[in-house]
Formats: sequence, structure tokens, C-alpha cells
Amino acid sequence: MAKITIDGKELDADPKLTIIQAARQHGIHIPHFCWHPKLSVSGNCRMCLVEVEKMPKLAIACATQVAEGMIVRTNNERVIKARNSVMEFLLINHPLDCPICDEAGECKLQDYSYKYSVGYSRFDENKVHKPKRVELGPRIVLDDERCIMCSRCIRFADEIAHQPVLIFTERGTHVVLRTFPHTVLDNPYSMNVIDLCPVGALTSKDFRFKSRVWEMANTESICTGCARGCNINIWTRNNEILRLTPRLNEDVNSYWMCDHGRLGTFKFVNSDNRIKTPMIRKEEALMEVNWDEAISQVASDLRSYKKSEIAGLGSAYATNEDNYVFRRLMKGVIGTKFVDVVPHVKEGDEDQLLIRADKTPNAVGAAAVGVTSVDASTGLEAILNGISSGAIKVLYVLEDNIAADPRVASVLSELDLLIVHSYEHNETTKLASVVLSASTYAEKNGTMTNFQRRVQRIRPAVATLEADRALGGFSMSRWDKFASPNDRWGKGPRRDARPSWRIVSGIANALGAKFKYNAVEEVFKDLAEKVEIFKGLSYAKIGNRGIALTTENVPTSLIPA
Amino acid sequence: MTLEDLQELSEKEQQRQSEKKHRILYCSAAGCVSCGSDKVSAALKAKVKEHALEKECEVVGTGCLGLCGEGPLVKVQSDNTLYQNVDVRSAEQIIESHIVNNKKVTSKLTDTSSPFFSSQTKIVLENCGEINSESIDEYIGAHGYQALAKAVNEMQPSGVIEEIRKSGLRGRGGAGYSTGLKWGIVSKAHGDQKYVVCNADEGDPGAFMDRSVLEGDPHRVLEGMAIAGYAVGATQGYVYCRAEYPLAIERLKLAIKQAEKMGLLGNRILESQFNFRIDIRIGAGAFVCGEETALLQSIEGKRGNPKPRPPYPSEKGLWGMPTLINNVESFANIAPIIRNGSDWFSKIGTEKSKGTKVFALAGNIRNTGLIEVPMGIPLRKIIFDIGGGTTEGTEFKAAQTGGPSGGCIPAEHLDLPVDYESLSTVGSIMGSGGLIVMDSTSKMVEVAKFFMQFCMDESCGKCIPCRVGTRHIYGLLDKISKKKATQDDMVLLEELCMMVKETSLCGLGQSAPNPVLSTLRFFRKEYEELLQPVETYHGEPGVVADFEK
Repeated sequence: MAKITIDGKELDADPKLTIIQAARQHGIHIPHFCWHPKLSVSGNCRMCLVEVEKMPKLAIACATQVAEGMIVRTNNERVIKARNSVMEFLLINHPLDCPICDEAGECKLQDYSYKYSVGYSRFDENKVHKPKRVELGPRIVLDDERCIMCSRCIRFADEIAHQPVLIFTERGTHVVLRTFPHTVLDNPYSMNVIDLCPVGALTSKDFRFKSRVWEMANTESICTGCARGCNINIWTRNNEILRLTPRLNEDVNSYWMCDHGRLGTFKFVNSDNRIKTPMIRKEEALMEVNWDEAISQVASDLRSYKKSEIAGLGSAYATNEDNYVFRRLMKGVIGTKFVDVVPHVKEGDEDQLLIRADKTPNAVGAAAVGVTSVDASTGLEAILNGISSGAIKVLYVLEDNIAADPRVASVLSELDLLIVHSYEHNETTKLASVVLSASTYAEKNGTMTNFQRRVQRIRPAVATLEADRALGGFSMSRWDKFASPNDRWGKGPRRDARPSWRIVSGIANALGAKFKYNAVEEVFKDLAEKVEIFKGLSYAKIGNRGIALTTENVPTSLIPA
Repeated sequence: MTLEDLQELSEKEQQRQSEKKHRILYCSAAGCVSCGSDKVSAALKAKVKEHALEKECEVVGTGCLGLCGEGPLVKVQSDNTLYQNVDVRSAEQIIESHIVNNKKVTSKLTDTSSPFFSSQTKIVLENCGEINSESIDEYIGAHGYQALAKAVNEMQPSGVIEEIRKSGLRGRGGAGYSTGLKWGIVSKAHGDQKYVVCNADEGDPGAFMDRSVLEGDPHRVLEGMAIAGYAVGATQGYVYCRAEYPLAIERLKLAIKQAEKMGLLGNRILESQFNFRIDIRIGAGAFVCGEETALLQSIEGKRGNPKPRPPYPSEKGLWGMPTLINNVESFANIAPIIRNGSDWFSKIGTEKSKGTKVFALAGNIRNTGLIEVPMGIPLRKIIFDIGGGTTEGTEFKAAQTGGPSGGCIPAEHLDLPVDYESLSTVGSIMGSGGLIVMDSTSKMVEVAKFFMQFCMDESCGKCIPCRVGTRHIYGLLDKISKKKATQDDMVLLEELCMMVKETSLCGLGQSAPNPVLSTLRFFRKEYEELLQPVETYHGEPGVVADFEK
């Protein structure tokens, strides 16, 4: 450890660190644009210039290593003057189109202009003009005029995504960011450059011009695109998800998420294809019913079959809580042994960074709470065979479009009764006798367990009929808080969907059981008491970053690769 | 090839040359080639053939003879006669009159007793004008490669480094870092592979020292690099040469081929255990690639942008490996130092600046050309004795050294000794050796504007102060030169210069304001004369500066 002094504060710092890193560890923020903790040092933005005693020139904090006895000043007159100049230089050619810029509100240049700039320019020359809409790849559009040439995107493409296609061309003030000839920025992680971009130069084709960032509420959750469970923020306005962005978690996804997770895992929540209320098939057609009718219908249906004629499929898309309550219903209340989970593993569709072949967010959790079958005679194949042979007449499916697999679909038509929890109309609901409208991951509280056996929280970002944003403790934007009835924001569609654990509890109670769960916290408390490996856990302990299960009790055979 | 073989070859070559009654050397460097030395050489050769003098008389191309403004130059080596402004007709006369009839062609004679010749001390340029620049035999005849042989056979690498350190040689690229110290750092750095890089990306306007050395004596540079490779433990060398020097590249390629063929480069050099290869890398026209970190990026095939230092190339250079980078002229000094010893070298020059320095004289000066002078020589002597003063009827005003990174030195500092420290006291730098003389017709604001436009155009755009600052310094200079500026703009100009200097990433940006600062320091009046009084001028709305050329 080296003793250093930053702005008069004596600190212990690892001599391997640079000044900016050491300062950061001690909560001292040195302004910067081009430096990023996960990228190589470029040293070009000059924003992190600090004064180091005994060095003749100002030094860039991002590239200057800490040394014993080093005395650093980040805020004296000389440093402030240099910083003001850097800001002045940066703003000379910047279009200052904040009022129409997607980045406004979360823009480093904008923030620093307030914090570190003098607030006016002494130059009245014409700005350099450059192309405004350059398509760098299928998902990313560049505005060259906004670019401040920090090169973060270039380094990300090179060092993290390993698709080194970005480069600056031309010289001086004519420099522009481009892809190499005959290449496009198209890799599974390409959209991270949008988050990395400190200004509004790189924008998402999907989100471009959709919303001002301060009009959205952001909710801390996790991505459900694969077994990684990348930590994310869900951004909503008007009770609709507009974008997902990665949220830092060094144990899971660092600063990144994949493009599939970002674009492919939220649109169904907003979709018109959503199931808006429970439905019961009457004379060939699914008819909308209320919850009481749906639940009592399911209960009376189930009562008319023997337990050996009933099978259940939990879901690796549902939460630990949903699966736990489902297991209690199937194994405890109904008493069937035919309970399993359908795996969704895409062999080979994985990489070294984040993407996992298991495309479900909670396969480990489903196994951990005892839904996944450990015995081939009661597992998925046995259930399908049972349906084919007529031994199994009723199938209860949690949040999984199992009929997307044509092999399964052909078997399902043999059933007397197919009960399905679903978010949207799909192949399985077409065959279902009863469809129970389930809340998506973005509409409920709960936990998922990723492939690392890490239990992580999901939180509701979109309100259903049963939930109220304020009372439900939702993250709220200004619109959510203050929109008046005649504002066009703050409304948005609300569906009569419920989390699966609540639906299942209702059915169990209609069958005479006594599931006393009023809130999801109570389910988790029960789960943590009853399921050995969750012992001692609580939502408070899981927190924002999740917590790894310490025991090795989840049988490896149950965890999809 | 062994040391003995080399000495034998050397003697044989000297013998061969001495058997010739006449050696006629024509300048084959780019300057003279551009004014027709090809035709001159053809005429010389034709006449030699016509008079059947091939046996006793040879005509060979040689390196820069110095007086570039008076080319093409032809030298008759046997009686040390130099002819200038030679054309086809006078070339024929040289053979017919001088060689055949022993009557010198007086109309084209150059006075070789003038201070231009007598005040020079030649180490780097010792072979230019003496040997055939395309012949390895002639280089060996002039003791070539004996220093390499001495190093690899008789000296330890540490001994070589110590010798260079003791010589006091400092980097001739301009910054003046001790060459021996740099070699020591690279030799001590850890790496599976080390590299030696020769910076031949000479880009300063008006500078052509390195080009002349490469064109005139390429083997000298290769030998210096090989000795450096031996000293620091490198097995691969690169010469990074700008594409604008096709002749230098051609001669280098030839020289590498010749040296490899004779076992002076490649594996087991001079039958020792030392292996060293040299390859050429050609630049793509960016001035910034003369900056060492940008140069290395360019060799790696990347965009030539500078990187922050540390880490210095001597620790993490080419492909992350320890890399020694020296300039052409620095390498050209190595062989003589090893051959003659550090004491010999350190006797030349001043206390802190040893040896000689090559300068390219240009601008409003009578003797435009290439010179080599001992360090510490007064500027006055260079400009007035060697350079012959300014052109007819004008008065000396300033000398610009160090190219776009340097500054202008006014008449009152003409007695300044030319060494690294003295030049920096007046706000200039030694630089790589460009020396542009300005007379009373030069307008200093225009001079500053010229250099600033150069820096603006050549800024790589990586860091913001240089990218934007140079453009706006240029804009302000333009405004001043068009008499549209006020005192406020002067304040802004000076502040801008200081900020670009203070905050830029690489040496280029940090030194870009120097031409402005130094002209402001010595010629502020010329700026102020162009200013508008604040009360009467209110500026034009809209476009103020015109950035288009």
C-alpha cells in the first residue's frame, strides 16, 4: 500500500492503481469522459487532468500510477482552469441539441457542463458540421456532430465484444467514427456502446426519440433472456416498458448485457397479444371470466380427477416463489408425483462473456424448490407418455409455452383438461381449457436463481389491475407521481393479471388447503424456512445485487448446462 | 564474414579506388535529382565512354554534397573540385576540359574554401559526397561495419551502452534525451522480444536531414541500428520511413539486401551469436506518426494515434514489447562513436551537448542546403558564415528552428550557442534540424499562421485541446492577420496557447502553440499593429474566421 494525499486527504492506495482508480475507491470523483473501469486507458479526453506535486505538467489521473508520497490536487485553480478549457473546447463544436437529444438527462457532457464549465463560450465561430444519421449497425445510429471522440465504443468493440470494427477516420476536427469498409457494428453486445457513449452520439434505433429519460421511471430488476440473469434497469413511462439497460453487478454481468436481452425480452409485456383476464374455454372458444369463476372452475375440474391422472409442469421462467407454491399445490394438495419443468436449452448458443445456452432465467431455482423431477418415471417424458396412453388426463402448466415444441403440441390434444398460466396468446393457450392471465417478470416481485446459484430480485415496473404504483412501492417517474387525469401520460393499459403464486394459492385454497399468503414476502419467508438451501435468506439480504446460495444442495443433474 | 575479412575487403576497396585516376561524383540525393542530376550523370558517363576513359575514370552517384540550392552538384574527387549548377553541357565540359585536358571549368566552379565548407565538422555526413551511396563495398572501404564487428566481437552489450552513454550523445530527433540512458532502459526492460525502431518520418516543413542521410549513406543507419540491437538485446529492427521519400526507401531496401547478402544483417552476424533483421515500414502521410507512440501504432498496422506515456516505448512499445526508438541522425552517429571511442566524440561540442548537428538551411538564405556543425556553434556563424546571410538586399529578421514545435529566434539572440539548453531558453527547441531563415520581408503573424495551419491540418484529432484548440488558434491568427481582431482576441489567443500547451496529450499538441508564443514574445508589435481599436470595431456577425484554404 502506498500513502497518497488527494486534496489534502491522506489515503492508502494500491500502488498498482492509477490516481483515478485510487480516488474512486475512496469516493473521490475525478471527472472523466474516455476512461472506463473496464476498458483500456486511452487518455484522450483530458478531463481528468490533475496536479501532481513534483510533476511539471498536469497529469491525467487515468494514466498516472499512484506512488508512495504522491500529493494530488484535483480542485485547485490550475486544475479547474484546465478543466474549464477542456469543457470549452468540447462544447465549441458540440451541437448543443440537448432539447432533442436522447442522452439529455443522463449525459456526461451535460452534467459536467453544469458542474465543471464556466457556462458560456468565448468563441462565435461556425461549428464543424458532420453527418447526423450514420447507421453503424442494425441496431445503432451515430450522430457524428455529438461525438466527442472519447473512443470508448472503439475500445469496447475491440476489447470486450471482440468485434474490432470501429475506428476513427480523418484528422483534426474532421475526425469521424466509422466502421471499417464492408463491416457493420453487429455483434451480440453491440448496444452496450450506447450506454458507454458519454454523449448522445450513439443511439438505439429501437429507443431513439421515444422518451426523455426523466419522464421514465426506472426499476431495478434482472433480465430473463437466459440463465445469466443480468442485472438491469427497466425503464417505463405510461405503464409501458420503453427500454432495458444493464445495471452494474460485478458478480454477474459487470456493466454489460446482450442485445437479445435488451431488445428481445420486454416487448411482449407491452404487446396487444397479452392475455388481459382469465379465460375459460366454453363451446370451443375462450371466454373472458373473472378470477373467482376461473379459480372455482379449475378447482372443481381438478376435484373430478384422480391424483394419478393429474400432472403439473412448473416453469423455469417463473420465480422461485411461483414454483414453490406450485409444488405445494401439485405434490402437497393434489398429491400427484408427476411434476417437472420443461428445459429450454439451445445447445451451442452461448459465449464466454454473458450468453448462456439455457434460455430460462430460473432453471436452477425451479430445481431448488423441488419442482424439477429427479426421477425419470415422474419426469417430462413420463408425463408425455402418460398423456399419450391416456393415463394422464389433466395437465397444469405454469408460465411456459410448451406447445411451441410441435412434439409436445401433438400430445396435448389427447388431454381432457389443460390449465395454463400465460402472459400472451400462444400455441399452448390455443389448446388450453383454462387460461389464467399471469403477471410477467416486469409486473411482480420475486426472486430468480441464476446458473451461478445466485438468488436475485425482480421488481414490478408495470402495474397490473391488482397493483397500484404508489401503494405497491413501484419506482415512480414524475409523470407517475404528478400526472393529472387529463395528461396523456401516466395512464397506459393495465391488465387483469396476477402473479402465479397468488393464482396457485387461490386454487389450493379452493381445494380446501390453507395457503395463507397475502404478499410475496410471506411466500419467500415460508420458502426460506422450508427449503434447506434458502435457509436464512430474506429479500433484505438479497438486496439489489443478489446473493449466492452457499450450499451445494442443488443436484448438478438438475441444472441445465 | 569475420572482422579480418571486413578489413581485407576495406583495404581492397580503398586500393580499387586509388587505382582510378579520376572519381567523378555527382549528387544523387533527391534535391539534385529533382533539378536534373540524372541527365548530368548520363552525360558524364557518355562522355567518359566517348573518350574511352572507363578504366581510369569512374562516375558514381553520391550523397548530398550540401549546397542544395546550387544543384546539380558534381565533384571530382581526385583534386577535390566541386562544380555547381551543372547541366548537360557543362557536364560534357567537365570531362572534356577538366578530365581530358586538366583544365577546370571555371564558370561552374564552387569555392570550396568558403566558410560554407570550412566551418563544418562532418561525422554523420562524412561519407556524403565521398562514396557511392548504393555500394556496400564503398561503405566498407570507408571503414563501414567495422564498428558493428568491434561491438559484436569485442564488446559486451553493456560495454556498448556504456560507451554510448559516455559519449554524451543525445537524441537528434529534437528532444535531446540521452541516447545511452535510453538504451540502458531498453536493455534492462523485460520482454520475450525487443525491437529497435528507426524514426525516419521526418515531417517538419523545411527539414531534410534524415532524408539526405538515408539517401546518401543508408548503411550507416543500418549499422547503427544493428549495434543498438546488439546492445539492447533486440533481434528485429524497423525503419519507419515516410512514403514521401521514395528514393530513401529504395536505397534502404538495396542496402538491407546487400548487408544481408554479406552476413552483416540477418542470422549470426559476423559469425557471432547475434541475429538482427531490419524491415522497412512506410508511413501513410501523417505528420503525427513522427511522434513515437503514434509511430509504433502505425507499424502495428493501426491508425497512427499517440498514446499517453508512461508506459514509455522503452518498456512497452511495439506489440507491448520493450522498444528502442531513435531518430535517423542518432543512429548515424553510433558507428563513428564505437569506431573512434566516446572520448573522441565527447571532445566535440559543448559540456551538455556533444558531437555535431545536421541542419537543413532553408528560407531567405543565400546558401540553401545541408550542413553539419559542432554543437555550441553560434547561430550567427551558421546563418552568416555558412549560410552566407540573407538573400540580396534584405535584413535578417528571425531564424525558425524545430519546425512546427519550435520557435522563432530574433536577431538579438544571434550569438546564442546552438545547443539543446540554450535554444530552449529563448522559447525554441533544437528540433530535428530544420532551420528556416526569415528576412525583413517576412510577416511574423503570417509565419505563425502558417505553422498553426500545419498543426491544425496534421492534428490527429485524438485529444480535444489539440483537435479544437489548434483550429481556434488558427482562427484567431486569421482574424488578426485580416485586421479584424481586437485586444480581447489577443488575450484569448495567449490563453488558448497556454491551455493547448498544458492539456494536450502528445508532444505535438503540447508544442503546437510554440510558433505563436515565440513570435508573440519577440514580435508582439507586429501583432498589435494589426489590431482594431476596441471602440470602433464591433465585429461582423456570423462567420468570423475562414477555415477553408
